[in-house]
Amino acid sequence: MLEHALTALDALFDPLRLAALFAGMIVGMVFGMLPGLGGVAAVSILLPFIYYLDDYSGLAMLLGAVSVVYTSDTITSVLLGAPGSPASAPTAIEGHALAKQGQAARALGVGFLASMVGGLVGALILFLAIPIAGPIVLMLSTPELFMFALVGLFFASSMIGKDLAKGLAAACLGVLLGVVGPAQAAADFRFTFGQVYLLDGFSLTIVALGLFGVAEVISMLAAGGGISHERMEVVRWGEGFRDFWRNKWLVLRAAFIGVLGGFVPAVGASASTWVAYGHAIRSTKDKSKFGKGEIRGIAASEGANNATVISDLVPTVLFSVPGGPAAAIFLGALFSFGYYPGPRMINQNPDLMFLIVWSVALTSVVGAALCFAITPALARLTRIPFAIIAAPLVLIMVIGAYQSTSTMGDIFMLFTLGALGWLMKHGGWPRAPALVGFVLSGPMEQYFWLTNQIHGWSWLTRPGVLLISSVIVIPLILSTIRWLRTHRTPGEEGPGDEDATPPESNRGIALVLAVTCSAMFSYALWEMFSFNPASRLMPSLAIVPGLPLALWLVIRGVREYENDFARDAGELTVLAVLIGYTIAVWAIGLSIPTVALIAYMLLYRARMRPWTAAIYGVFVFGIVRLLFDLLRGDAPVGALIALS
Amino acid sequence: MRKLMKTTAALAATIGLATAAQAQDGYFAGKSIEIVVPFGEGGATFVSAKFLEPYFEKHLPGNPDIDVVSRPGGGSILGANWFEQNAKSDGTTILFTTSSTANPFVLGQEGVEYRLADYRVAYSHPFSAVAYVSPTTGVTSAADIKNATTQLIYGGIAAAASDLPGLLSFEVLDLDVKSVLGFNGRGPVRLAFEQGELNLDYQFTPVYLTQVVPSVDAGTAVPLWTGGAMDGGVLKARDSIAPELPSVYEVHEMLYGSAPSGIEWDAFQGVASVTYAYGLTGYMHPDTPQEVIDLFAETVAAINDDPEFQQEALKVTNGARLNAGPDTEAAIKAALSPSEEVKTYLRDLLSTKYGVNF
Repeated sequence: MLEHALTALDALFDPLRLAALFAGMIVGMVFGMLPGLGGVAAVSILLPFIYYLDDYSGLAMLLGAVSVVYTSDTITSVLLGAPGSPASAPTAIEGHALAKQGQAARALGVGFLASMVGGLVGALILFLAIPIAGPIVLMLSTPELFMFALVGLFFASSMIGKDLAKGLAAACLGVLLGVVGPAQAAADFRFTFGQVYLLDGFSLTIVALGLFGVAEVISMLAAGGGISHERMEVVRWGEGFRDFWRNKWLVLRAAFIGVLGGFVPAVGASASTWVAYGHAIRSTKDKSKFGKGEIRGIAASEGANNATVISDLVPTVLFSVPGGPAAAIFLGALFSFGYYPGPRMINQNPDLMFLIVWSVALTSVVGAALCFAITPALARLTRIPFAIIAAPLVLIMVIGAYQSTSTMGDIFMLFTLGALGWLMKHGGWPRAPALVGFVLSGPMEQYFWLTNQIHGWSWLTRPGVLLISSVIVIPLILSTIRWLRTHRTPGEEGPGDEDATPPESNRGIALVLAVTCSAMFSYALWEMFSFNPASRLMPSLAIVPGLPLALWLVIRGVREYENDFARDAGELTVLAVLIGYTIAVWAIGLSIPTVALIAYMLLYRARMRPWTAAIYGVFVFGIVRLLFDLLRGDAPVGALIALS
Repeated sequence: MRKLMKTTAALAATIGLATAAQAQDGYFAGKSIEIVVPFGEGGATFVSAKFLEPYFEKHLPGNPDIDVVSRPGGGSILGANWFEQNAKSDGTTILFTTSSTANPFVLGQEGVEYRLADYRVAYSHPFSAVAYVSPTTGVTSAADIKNATTQLIYGGIAAAASDLPGLLSFEVLDLDVKSVLGFNGRGPVRLAFEQGELNLDYQFTPVYLTQVVPSVDAGTAVPLWTGGAMDGGVLKARDSIAPELPSVYEVHEMLYGSAPSGIEWDAFQGVASVTYAYGLTGYMHPDTPQEVIDLFAETVAAINDDPEFQQEALKVTNGARLNAGPDTEAAIKAALSPSEEVKTYLRDLLSTKYGVNF
């Protein structure tokens, strides 16, 4: 085994292969930083090129891109508050809060180091996995996978926040968004309104970008000025290193959570990141800083997401079952080079297996080092007026969303969910539970259905199920014992919320949101009766608690109502402009509305001088068109006037 | 940048084909062909399109530059609808897809805008499937399938999509099978089979050869039958993927002593031929000139004769060959326009047994 490992290392150190690996890494870094564009986009843009390389170089190039995305997305999440990829939403919550307090360097340092450790743990597991992971993956049958989803939900409950009603309603809303599209259990398409676009349900990228990215950009555009009002010093890394060392065991535990998430096909980096984040909250005594800049939140989520994306390769290589979307493309590349992953591949191509391990390990270290090197320069960007960055940022999010299906629906959904995210942010509804509900509703429903179909109820006594359920039961028992001893409430204070605390929330917006959600839940309840009984379970899990909660929030909203819309009038204008932009793109194609949007942001919002604005605007527009061409080949064409 | 990519691609292609040095004055000289795959980039259809790409570039007159583009969404409906609206009629846009696109069309599902039965058929590649069972059922061969000692449990994705021919084969053979639908893909189904949660499965060509055959050798899977291959308009011949296995048609003869017939068989044959025998098909705009269709038929013959293709195909598909020409087109079009009777049968079966709403 060692012999093969060394042969593979030798093979990788061929200059052309190293060049391919690092070229892939740089593409991965850039795409990791662009919000909405992640591993999938990076890998698909590289795909045409790998066919001109030999098999090892081509695969090394893809691996370089895959394994660095979740390192560099930390930069965007921390500095801009828009998640660089869906799985770094917790980093965006905690890291951006720290950045606003002038502690960007600390957040980034911990994020990079945790990412690196996550990547290395992933690589180590992959190395060990080669002989032993097969049986482990085989042990994880549908009942165990269902239990994993339940554990995720249990951890997620720590993110509800102080305002219980709003937190639970947000989680229900997330589950409701998650059940749109094909039902797992029976042949129903739920809440699709006859739109082909919704037949696949919502894309995770668009939901994460809409709820977090768009809402963040709106606030910053309206506030004017730079991202940080404090001076963002990103020169002293020392504190970040010390923080990392203090939390090293948390990072390791998070990395193992991430690895397990990777073993499970189709659960993916997002779910395991949230589970790790939930674990960080549960294992921290003073929970008050969560949501307001807690370094442990970053350590856990960054440790987990990088480990997941790498251990995604375990089911891919051992069973030909891709662990995640980027792994699916990697699998396609393996096929194209004539490798057929499966039980035999480990014996037939041991060198290739180790090449994968080395590529991933090397990129994790070099990628983290490179992130440290470029961050000081990037941090300076946060001092310039945000409107100048916002123009390309909004358009890149549009392109990222457009990757899902390349139809107008992607852009509509991005801004519709953006509006929802903005309402939630200002109405005091926490967005984290909504995203977790969205991420987990699919696997929960699927695995519950399959489990019950195959095993009836006998699955409850399986050893794996009992083992996993102990993760939930033991902490509950422990806290009960503690409660009995001290005869008082277990002192579990909910973590702070990433959004404004209730008194700061906008009363008017809170009421609008409660009314909107009540209407959505009511409609969903009505439509639910047309489904097959098996398809009703998951929606009813969202609707049964969701509808009364939303109605109660309406009553509460009316009682507390005061007309304070004016406070957020500036942001409402920006939101209206973005929605106007979407409608204009639908009507007359991409180019003209995009030029108008750039002009609005640069001239009106950033108050740039006309000539500078013109040069910069042409540059931004050029990049946007280039990205559209590079990624898909065609920009949306207008429905009323057929321009593109 | 796209131009640059194209140039790079063209350059590399030129270098690669320098030895071939064919005449550059064919129909497709200087043109590029866009092959639209309505599924994701890692999927079997995309990989197959990439596998065939170099052979078409080499053998089509004029050596066009071929671009395989993935347009996923709506279970392939979005990509096919895109093709309906944007395809060119000179043979430079091809929709390369599977029965996942054909079944919603045949069943008249909501949201289908493409007129698949009107399209021209440029070429087609078989996508064979093999049924296999776990030895824990006590079944030792196809003839023994009725004697299973435990409940047969089949895993699938959705009744109205690629699982349809498998489910119909159980109807034809009148088997008592419990179908658990709702998996993410055939990969997870295969995993659940290995984990012992399911005991009856169908897998398509490449996965059968690389994953199931090792299990058969290890004694943890028993191969049963293939969907069959076309022979004089009837889906009864043995499939080259596993010539030692009987077709569903033969299994019916073994079990009941007669050839299958009736509405179940008609429905199975129609659906199975577009799923298996013509599993991966390249469609063109309805107005594509006959000249172009003929060019593709000639090219397909040349590819089938290419020793390099034969060698690679032996590895990947156990030596399957491409199909093209009037017979292929007629067979596919017939399967895409079943009788009202068959349609009604399919819709009734799907809505009563599998709860599909139309």
